[in-house]
Amino acid sequence: MKMISEGAEAKIYTIKVLGFDAVVKDRISKRYREKALDSVIRAQRTKTEAKILARASESGIRVPKVLMLKNNKIIMESLNGTMLNALPAKSKIPTSIISQCARQLAVLHGAGIVHGDFTPANILVDKNSNTWIIDFGLGEVTNSDEERALDLLLMKRSIDRGLYGHFEREYLAAPGGAGKAVLRQLSEIEKRGRYQTRTLLSKS
Amino acid sequence: MAVLGIESSAHTLGLGIVKNGSIIANEKLMFPIGNQGIIPARAADFHAGNSSKIIRSIFSSSELSPNDIEAVGYTKGPGLGPCLRIGQLMARTFAEKHKIPIFPVNHAVAHIEVTRQLSKVKDPLVLYVSGGNSQILALDDTPFRHYHIYGETFDIGVGNMLDSFAREAKLTPAWGSSVAKLAEGGKYIQMPYTVKGMDFTFTGLLTHASKALENNSHKDIAYSLQETAFAMLCEATERALLLTKKKDILLSGGVAQSRRLGQMIGIVAKSHRARIHTVANEYNADNGAMIALVAESMMKSGQHYRSRDCDINQKYRIDSVKVSW
Repeated sequence: MKMISEGAEAKIYTIKVLGFDAVVKDRISKRYREKALDSVIRAQRTKTEAKILARASESGIRVPKVLMLKNNKIIMESLNGTMLNALPAKSKIPTSIISQCARQLAVLHGAGIVHGDFTPANILVDKNSNTWIIDFGLGEVTNSDEERALDLLLMKRSIDRGLYGHFEREYLAAPGGAGKAVLRQLSEIEKRGRYQTRTLLSKS
Repeated sequence: MAVLGIESSAHTLGLGIVKNGSIIANEKLMFPIGNQGIIPARAADFHAGNSSKIIRSIFSSSELSPNDIEAVGYTKGPGLGPCLRIGQLMARTFAEKHKIPIFPVNHAVAHIEVTRQLSKVKDPLVLYVSGGNSQILALDDTPFRHYHIYGETFDIGVGNMLDSFAREAKLTPAWGSSVAKLAEGGKYIQMPYTVKGMDFTFTGLLTHASKALENNSHKDIAYSLQETAFAMLCEATERALLLTKKKDILLSGGVAQSRRLGQMIGIVAKSHRARIHTVANEYNADNGAMIALVAESMMKSGQHYRSRDCDINQKYRIDSVKVSW
């Protein structure tokens, strides 16, 4: 057992399953949380995440395959690659990579899945330059344009303006996506005045 | 020489005097909210009606005279327009009469800075929780030194949420501490819990809790509402702590007065070997001393404002403010 990371809600470690590498996502208990709330959150998120991973995989999106589900733990296949936020020099993310994840997000939304934390830290690029979407821990099964728009908003805050423009065009162009209504909702959210994106900030 | 600060963004009319980073006097009067919340025009009338009285009392408690004041700061925003106007007018009149410089202060920056300066922390992760705001921030140098927002509420502030619930549950006074009191000894019932990375929303929770009042024990709902809202803030804060790798957490704003929230954030801090910093409740609630502290910092770092720049801005964003000290 080798620890990979300890996030805000789960420990991620690797184990061997029948000789193969596998990744375990173990949702740990949080002492600050009320006990009943803690167990509901852990159980619900584990179940939802496994369901979403299965549904995303069925829709042809590259996500890790679930091998087993047990006691707030998801055991899934191990992936090799580099996280998008860990690529050298952030501004040089190739547009082909951005196109891929924009189209993947559009397909996910079309399949009724919202990621919930769609940032470069949750996109993995493998050695063939294919993108994989990981960590659906905050994901939801929903067709709400508001929720979809929040996926775009998180990406908008994470990458530079030009790249995001490309991302949005590719998202719109993808077949099966929710398209224009989501972008309208995004500008609604921004109009609420609570959001100043990093790109807007660097202009001032 | 000393600096005077005037706070009037919501129900509190507060005046404070500082000298070289130390608070010498802090006086406040509060518009009585009862079970109705703040009616902006009435609160503004209250502030206007009490302005002479509070100026007299700050100078008698500090044993200073108006001639000892070398600069005045006021809350430019964010806040309620009619209330902000009164503080701005008081500051302008005072500055004009005594021929001293005037500094427009961001209310959120003031809440954070009073805690940061009194606790002497350099570079903390901040959880700023008040009526109108709920944000997770830290200082960032690009493109200029400012408080960068890592996460925030997508709809209403946690304080507003608790106040609105208090009104729905017919609690008096209708604010967070009444909810906390009712919550003691309650049992948990399930509530909607919404965290998106480091951001969160509260209206779904508020609507659910308000509707549940009909068929459930009010005590259990108050308890569950508070536990759920604070757990959301903790989760987002913990995520930001792991991302920024800060070693200090600063808890500030009106809702920082909540003992339960302080306890929960304390657990988050401890599990990552971070320290938690907060100040006395007098300075967590709206007050004039925090405005004076920031005005003094602005003055000492060489900022300068013309009288016509001294306006109000109800939606004055914290990340547009240069932290030049």
